[in-house]
Amino acid sequence: MALRRDGDRTTILLGEDERVLLVDLAEQFRSVLSADADPDLRRLYPAAYADDAERDADYAGLVHDDLLGTRLDAVERLIGSATAETIDDEDLAAWMQVLNGLRLLLGTRLDVSEEDEFDPEAPDAPSRALLAWLGFLLEEAVESAAAGL
Amino acid sequence: MSPAPVEVDEPGIDHGLDRELDGDVATDRPWIVLVWNDPINLMSYVSFVFQKVFGYSRAKADRLMLDVHHKGRAVVSGGTREKAEMDVFRLHEHGLWATLQQDD
Repeated sequence: MALRRDGDRTTILLGEDERVLLVDLAEQFRSVLSADADPDLRRLYPAAYADDAERDADYAGLVHDDLLGTRLDAVERLIGSATAETIDDEDLAAWMQVLNGLRLLLGTRLDVSEEDEFDPEAPDAPSRALLAWLGFLLEEAVESAAAGL
Repeated sequence: MSPAPVEVDEPGIDHGLDRELDGDVATDRPWIVLVWNDPINLMSYVSFVFQKVFGYSRAKADRLMLDVHHKGRAVVSGGTREKAEMDVFRLHEHGLWATLQQDD
């Protein structure tokens, strides 16, 4: 177990190494978000109008900076609370946003599909293990957040 | 898992309303918000987002999530274009793959 619901807060049961890894990943995420040039970010900015390029361009122009800003805020919140014993629900929401954002970025980069099976010998095995670990953390975060709804 | 039958019963979506279309009336057709299946988002997370963003019950959110998973997409909300676009934005904030379109 990595995260546990305790009343109106979430207890973080991660070890020191895992917290360091999480902050490192969050910092990498912040760099990629800030540079705003990596094509693997596309799943974080999906089209809203699938069949209307003009309206979609308007939408993207309107929301892009908001989407970027809220993700950068979430990264700061996660980094700021990464060594805490417990976090409140606002921090937990930020953790979820970063965990999911990282998964979207990494999963797009790995071009994952639902049929994928883990092959420990594959060259991308470490990245896929990381994706699975982020999924495990997100799953526990969802469980705690759902208990707080 | 087997998908449960889904009832999407949003106020503001008047299915089956068959009016004579001229330019003005066509713009009155309601908009729907679709969420599409993707291989990255976790099923539990998608259901949680539906509960959080729309205030849906766990049961309804799970039904919609399973519909997305098994059928490739589901209508999750609808209404005016402004409302649908706001819903899409909130889903995008949460990393879901959502689009809006006029109901046909």
